Amino acid sequence: MRAQFVLQEIWIGLRRNLTMTVALIVVVAISLSLLGVGLLFVKQVDATRSYWQGKVELSIYLCTAQSVSVQCKQNGPSTAAQRQQIQQTLTSMPQVASVVYQSQQQAYQQFKQEFSNNPSFVSTVAQGDIPDSFQVKLKNPQADYGTVASSVTGKSGVDSVIDDRSILAKFYKLLGGARNAVVIVAVILLVAATLLVANTIRLSAFSRRRETGIMRLVGASNFYIQLPFLLEGIIAGLIGWAISVGLLIAVKSLWLDTLQQYFTFNVILSAGDLVEVVILAMCVGVLLCGATSFLTLRRYLRV
Amino acid sequence: MINFDNVTKIYPSQSRPALENVSISVEKGEFVFLVGPSGSGKSTFLRLVLKEERPTDGRIRVSGRDLAHLSNWRVPMLRRRIGCVFQDFRLLPNKNVYQNVAFALEVIGKPRRFIRKVVPEVIDLVGLEGKHERMPDELSGGEQQRVAMARAFVNRPMILLADEPTGNIDPATSIGIMKVLDRINRTGTTVVMATHDAAIVDSMRKRVIELEYGKVVRDQSRGVYGQAY
Repeated sequence: MRAQFVLQEIWIGLRRNLTMTVALIVVVAISLSLLGVGLLFVKQVDATRSYWQGKVELSIYLCTAQSVSVQCKQNGPSTAAQRQQIQQTLTSMPQVASVVYQSQQQAYQQFKQEFSNNPSFVSTVAQGDIPDSFQVKLKNPQADYGTVASSVTGKSGVDSVIDDRSILAKFYKLLGGARNAVVIVAVILLVAATLLVANTIRLSAFSRRRETGIMRLVGASNFYIQLPFLLEGIIAGLIGWAISVGLLIAVKSLWLDTLQQYFTFNVILSAGDLVEVVILAMCVGVLLCGATSFLTLRRYLRV
Repeated sequence: MINFDNVTKIYPSQSRPALENVSISVEKGEFVFLVGPSGSGKSTFLRLVLKEERPTDGRIRVSGRDLAHLSNWRVPMLRRRIGCVFQDFRLLPNKNVYQNVAFALEVIGKPRRFIRKVVPEVIDLVGLEGKHERMPDELSGGEQQRVAMARAFVNRPMILLADEPTGNIDPATSIGIMKVLDRINRTGTTVVMATHDAAIVDSMRKRVIELEYGKVVRDQSRGVYGQAY
């Protein structure tokens, strides 16, 4: 009886301001989608970052016959004795975790494998174009990078020292910027959604002031008077959320996952990550709509 | 049943009190007319009984309960024991006679079986038998007021407050309305009726309380409306 009555009231309310309800659902859907995309971005960046964390941290490229730097031109390609000395310097440093020598042949093989999906690019590079190098892992990359790098920079046989993180940093910056833009737009839209909820509920309360007036008069409890309005806001929020779930699944499977194919690393977010984002979006949507409805009602349905 | 003890009510926007040092006592089962010109404080009196307003000063008790000590969430319980009828009927235009009366019980969560039983009884009591399916706009003013009275009485309140119930109704029809109010009063319900209608007050010969500028100027059992009007 009670449930049927409340459901009936909700239906009447939603139908009566159909245009407002539709606007509310659309705005909630879009803002939650953007919020979700922002969160997926964060997760993607984190996943990519942790993937790289365990990889190379410092690459010391050695001089070869093709090296163009002044230093290499003067001294010629690195010799076995130079390589040995560099390796000794590195391994003797307490900050270094491991040192691996990668010969030109190994480097070429790895290059061919990483760009196997782009044979035309591979064909432009010959073995010997890629210099041999030392791949160094540091115990504490943040603190010790400078010390280790300066100890080998300028040594004979060394072409250049490259911090792999500095290459990735640009990529992260790009991703981070995109994420921030998406989150800012999402927050603005969430504010708009909040105002729309307040307005919808106010209109709904106004169009049913006759009913609520009588309910008050005959002694209906506040809870009973407010519940239909509260649920009205929450249901609109849930419908908006359901739409955003569809959009988020599309964004993940059609865009983020496809994007991965263009990179050599495959860090595809799991379904669990998506579910986490979707649940978070639901909490935000329901809380936002519910709390706003509640606060609006306190103002417009005074006892 | 209703006790006003030196009650003063001043609305924030007005300097003159709407009620000033009003002490009135209405006993259980009484029928009381509240008369006086517009702005004399009749409506304020009724709103205070419902705790729609709080008195600036003084004490109000309804069926022994001090309203000042009645917490907000218990106010609905108070209102379930008080029925209200207004000049403008306040029916829901999209519900028929039966639904309008049943609405009052639905919103306080009464079981459907109970509603099916008592609503037809009350509709009969106010003299609208056979008109369950009519919509408010298909009814005359008098009939609409009967629906409003049925809705006010369907939960068997202890008190029925009527704010100029005959204000929008012609004199001949008003007699029928008064008969229904009298019938409700005979079931033991206390009735307080604010009115301008001298003919009705004179014909009923009930207790009359006259207000003027927020003060009680006359309280008379078996009274008439008054010479001045």
